Amino acid sequence: MSAKDNKDSPYIAFHQSVKFTFDGVKYKGFKGDTIASALIRNNIKIIGRSFKYHRPRGIYTCGIEEPNALVQILSEYSEPNTRATVKQIYEGLKIESQNRWPSLENDLSSVNNLLSPLFSAGFYNKTFMKPRGFWKKVYEPLIRKAAGLGKPPKPFKTKSTQLHHHVDIVIVGGGLSGLLAAKSLAKTKLKVLLIEQDSYLGGILKNSNKISTIESKDRASWIKDVETEIEYSKNIKVLKNTLATTYNYINYLIAIEDLTTGMMPLEGHADQILHKIRADHIILANGHIERLISFRNNDLPGIMLAGSFEKYIQRYGVIPNISPVIFSNNSSSFSLIKILIDLNCKPQAYVDSRSGDKIESSLLDIIHKENIPLFTNAHVEGCDGKKQVEEISIRDSEGIITKLKSKMLCISGGFNPDVHLFTQSKGVLTWDDKYLTFKPSKSFQNTIVIGSAGGLFQYSKLANDIDSKLSFLNHEPIVNINFELNESDNYSIEKLWETKHEKKSRWSKSFIDLQNDVTTKDLRQGIREGFDRIEHLKRFTTNSMGTDQGKISSINALGIVSEILNKKVSEVGTTIYRPPYAPLSFASIAGRSTYNFYDPERKTSIHEWHKKNGAVFENVGQWKRPWYFQSYLEENLDQAVQREALQIRKYAGVLDGSTLGKIEIKGSDALEFMNLMYTNNFSKMKPMSARYALMLGEDGMIMDDGIISKINDNHFIATTTTGGAAKVLSHMEEFSQTEWPHLNVFMNSITEQFCTFNISGPKTRLIMEKVFKHIKFDNESFPFMTFNNFTYLDSTIRILRASFTGELGYEIYVRPSIALKLWEDLFRFGKDEGLIAYGTETMHLLRAEKGYIIVGQDTDGSVTPQDMDLEWMIGKSKKDFIGKRSLTRSDTIRSDRKQLVGIKPINQKNIIEEGQHIILSSNVKPPVKMLGHVTSSYMSPNLGHSFGMAVIKDGKNLIGSRAYVSSSSRDAYEVEIMKSVFIDDENKRLVS
Amino acid sequence: MLIINCPYCGPREQCEFTNGGEAHVARPSDPEKVSDKEWSEYVFFRSNPKGIYFERWVHSHGCKKWFNAVRDTSTDKVLKVYEIKDEKPSLADLENSNLTTPSGEPEVGSGNFTVRKI
Ligand SMILES: [Zn+2]
Repeated sequence: MSAKDNKDSPYIAFHQSVKFTFDGVKYKGFKGDTIASALIRNNIKIIGRSFKYHRPRGIYTCGIEEPNALVQILSEYSEPNTRATVKQIYEGLKIESQNRWPSLENDLSSVNNLLSPLFSAGFYNKTFMKPRGFWKKVYEPLIRKAAGLGKPPKPFKTKSTQLHHHVDIVIVGGGLSGLLAAKSLAKTKLKVLLIEQDSYLGGILKNSNKISTIESKDRASWIKDVETEIEYSKNIKVLKNTLATTYNYINYLIAIEDLTTGMMPLEGHADQILHKIRADHIILANGHIERLISFRNNDLPGIMLAGSFEKYIQRYGVIPNISPVIFSNNSSSFSLIKILIDLNCKPQAYVDSRSGDKIESSLLDIIHKENIPLFTNAHVEGCDGKKQVEEISIRDSEGIITKLKSKMLCISGGFNPDVHLFTQSKGVLTWDDKYLTFKPSKSFQNTIVIGSAGGLFQYSKLANDIDSKLSFLNHEPIVNINFELNESDNYSIEKLWETKHEKKSRWSKSFIDLQNDVTTKDLRQGIREGFDRIEHLKRFTTNSMGTDQGKISSINALGIVSEILNKKVSEVGTTIYRPPYAPLSFASIAGRSTYNFYDPERKTSIHEWHKKNGAVFENVGQWKRPWYFQSYLEENLDQAVQREALQIRKYAGVLDGSTLGKIEIKGSDALEFMNLMYTNNFSKMKPMSARYALMLGEDGMIMDDGIISKINDNHFIATTTTGGAAKVLSHMEEFSQTEWPHLNVFMNSITEQFCTFNISGPKTRLIMEKVFKHIKFDNESFPFMTFNNFTYLDSTIRILRASFTGELGYEIYVRPSIALKLWEDLFRFGKDEGLIAYGTETMHLLRAEKGYIIVGQDTDGSVTPQDMDLEWMIGKSKKDFIGKRSLTRSDTIRSDRKQLVGIKPINQKNIIEEGQHIILSSNVKPPVKMLGHVTSSYMSPNLGHSFGMAVIKDGKNLIGSRAYVSSSSRDAYEVEIMKSVFIDDENKRLVS
Repeated sequence: MLIINCPYCGPREQCEFTNGGEAHVARPSDPEKVSDKEWSEYVFFRSNPKGIYFERWVHSHGCKKWFNAVRDTSTDKVLKVYEIKDEKPSLADLENSNLTTPSGEPEVGSGNFTVRKI
C-alpha cells in the first residue's frame, strides 16, 4: 500500500511542483513540502542508518521531535543532522542520507548489529578502557568509521544576524492556546511577541482533525480571522519559522528564525536571525509531544507516531499509507480513523491495550460501523521485515499471536506537555497520575504555562485556564468558546511503556532512544550495574542524550526505570532538559562576528611602509607588529634576527613602537597618585625627566612596566607594554574611583594620538643630528632619561633619551599624520650610517642581552620585583603604594623563591630552549628535582653563543655555580648560572 | 545574561560591564601597621555566599564608572545598584528580595540549606 495525496490541505501548493535530489536520485514534491513529506509522497521509506547499529531508519514523526530522519544538506554548506521533518524543499535542493557506508540500501556496518554486545550500555565508559593502547589503534578508528551522525559542514561565512527585543509579553507557540492568548491581549497596551516554529499559525487546528469547528467556524477560517485580528492590533508582532530554543534567567529567551524556509539561501542576504528577547512575562503555549511505545523492532521504517501520521494528512497533504495498523494505549486515535474514512481510506486494524469496557463508545462505534478489525486488551508484540515493516505481530490477552501483513504501523503511547522550555526556566514539574506524564507545577520566573503545555488536555476547560492565568494583565476575557469536537473531550490513557515480546534473534531489539540506539535492555543492564539514579543512568546508557534530547521517549524511560526499581515515577524524577531545545548552529550564535569582524586589527601609521620593506608581522593583542624584516625573499626568522641584532649594536636600528600603550595623567594630585600606582618614587624627579617604572598588583606581583615621563608634578605620561595598555588604564581608573576618590586626578589613553619610534645604536646621535639639525644631542644638552618638546614640520614632537636595547637611544613621539614622513626622513639620513628597521624578535633578543626583562615572558604573575632583581626600583621611603605591603609577607621574603638569573651553556654548541627545566644533574631519573625553568632564550650573534634567562629557586645565591638544562631532543647539558646582564654591565653605552 | 542598571547610564546588557568582585572590602588605611594575616584577608579572601552578595561592577564598555550592586546569587536578580560613595544598603531596604533558589534542585548537595540573609 502506498502513499496518497490529500489535496484538501490548504498548506501545500499542489500546482507548484519542486524538484530535489536525495542520494543522487531526482524526486518531485510540492511547494510547502518538508523533505520528509516529499519523500513520503515518493514512497521513500529508508532515510538513514542508525547511530551505533546501522539499522535502517525511516520517518518517525512530523516535526522538531524527529529522532531518525536526519539528513545532510549538500546544496548549501553541507549542513549535517538537518531534520527532514522540518526543513522545507526548494527547487534544486540536494540532500544525502547520513551514517551509511557504502550505500543506504546496503550498509556493511550493519554487521555492528551482530556485534551489539560491544555497543551495549556503558560502552563508552568501560569497553574501551582495556587493553591499554587499544583505544588509539583499534577502537577509535573503528568507531570513527562506524558510529556517529553526519559529516561536518564546509567552512563558510555566516550570513546570520542577531536582533534584540524588549517586550512586555512573549507567547511561545501560535497554536490554539497561543492564538487565544494573543487574541485576548490584542486590545491591551502590552507589547507582545508571538513566536511560532511553523510557517503557519494554528497548531492542533492545523495539524489535526480533533476539533471540527471552533466558534462555529471551520478551523482554517478561524485561524485566518484571528491572524487578521492580530495583524490589526499593532501591539502584537508575529515571528513565524522561529523556534524558541533557550529560556535563560531573567526571562531572557533565545529564538532562531529561519529566513530561507522553502527557498535557496540568497547570496548577500541573511539566512537566519538569532532573536535575543527580554520580556516581563513569558507565556508558554508550546503544546505537547506524542511519545512512543517500546516493542520488538519498534525502530523499523514504516513505524510512525499516530499524531504525526495525522499531521502529514492535514498539514502536508499526504496520506503516508492508506491502510495502516493503529496501536494505542489511549483515546486519541478517533480523529485519525475518522479522517482516513473521510478520505476513503481505512485502517487495516485497530489495536488497543485497554480492555473493551474502557474504550470510549464513540471510538468503538466508528470501528464497528466501518468494520475495522479490532484487538482490545492487546499489544503489538513486535514487527518483522528486512528493511521496513512487513509483518506485525499482535498478542491478545490470552497470549495468542495474530500476524498481519502490513507496511505501516501508527503508534501512540500518550502525550507529554512540552516542558523543555519550562524546565530550562528552572520551573518545577509534578507527576500527573491521570495522564501519566510530568507537567509544570511551579514557575521559578515570570512564566505562565497555558493549554496542553501546562498539562491541560480538555478543550472545554481551555478558556477558563487562560482567563484565570492572564487576568492580572487585564486582558479581554475569553469566557467561553464553543468547540465542536470530533472526539471525546475526556482524554484517557492506560499505562504501557513496553510490550512483552519474544526474543527472536540478536537482531531483535526494543528501542527506548532511537537516535542514540539505546534499548530497553540497556536500561535494565545499567540499573543492574548500579546506575540506578536517573542522571547516572542517562550518562551510562546515553539515553536521551542525542540532538533530539529524547523528546518522544524520555518519559517512557522514566516509566520503565520506575517499574524496574519498583518506585513511583515521581520518585525517579526527570533528568534536566538542557538548552537549546533543538540544535542551534554556531553560525547563528557567531552572527557577523567572524573572519574580519571577529576582532579588530590595529595597524600603525607606518604599516604600509613595513609591508613594502619586507616585514613579516606578528599579532600582539589586536596589533599587527613587524616581527622581523626580510632583506631577501627566502630569509627566515633566525637569519633575519641575527643580521638585525648585529647591525644595531654596530650601527643603528629603529623600531616602530607606536603600539606601546601611552596614558596621560593630569591633576593637582597626579604626583601622589603616581606614587601610589608605581613602585618608584617620583617626588624628587626633576620636571622633563623620565624613569623606568614598575606597576604591581596588591599581591605584590609584577603587573606591568614602562617609562614614566614627568612634565611636572601635575602632569605625567606613562607608557605601558603593548598588551597591557587597557589593563593598566582600567587599573588606574579603578583605584582612582574606588580607593582614592578624593585625589584630583584624571587619566586618558593617548596610545593612538602619538606614533613612537625607538631608535638606538652607536650611530644614532649622528643620524638624529642630521634629521633634526636644530637640536643638540650631546650628553650635556640632552642627558640620558630626559625629554623635551621640539618642532618638526611646524608640529610639536617629543623626544626622550631612553633605550630599549642597551645602546645609545632616543624615543620620538610624533603626530600620526606626519609620522611616516619622519620615519622616511630617518632613513633618508640614516641609510648611509647603516640604519635598519627591526622587528619585535630582535627587540626581545637585544633586551635580553642587556638583562631587561619582558613582562609576561620572564614574569608570569607570580614574581615580585625582588625575584626579578629589581629591588632598586622600589621606593622604600614611600609610605604606601599598591602591592608594597605584600612585599614583606612571609611568603614573598622567603629566600628559596624562584629568582631571575642568566644562564649560558658550558659547551657553546648547545642551544638553550625556552620553557625547559633547570635540574641538578644530567642523570634524569624520576622523580627529578626541579630548580626552575628557562623563561627566555636566544642565540646571540653579539656573544657568539646561546644564552637565556631563567627563574631558579634561590637563584641569587647560586650565581657562579652550575646546573643542567633539559632538552627536547637529547640529554640535559650543563650551564653556568650568572647575573642576567650579558652586555655592558656598566651602562657605558647608554650614556655614551 | 543579566540586565544591569548602571546608576549613570541606565539599564544595559551585562556584556558592557566587568565584575569587580566583592564590594565593601576596605583597603587598610595604613598597610604597614596590619599583620600578614589582616593584609591577606584584604588581598585574597572574599565571601562567596549563595544569596545576597554586595559586589562591584564597572561599566567598562560605557561610562567606565565603578559602582556597587546587590545581587542574589541564587537567582541572579540584581536587587539594587548604588554609587561607590553611598553607604552599604541595609538589609531592611532589601526586604522584598524574596530569596528563592532555582527550584527542582534536591535539598541535599545543592547548597540550598545555606541560603540565608547575611
Ligand atoms: Zn554607565
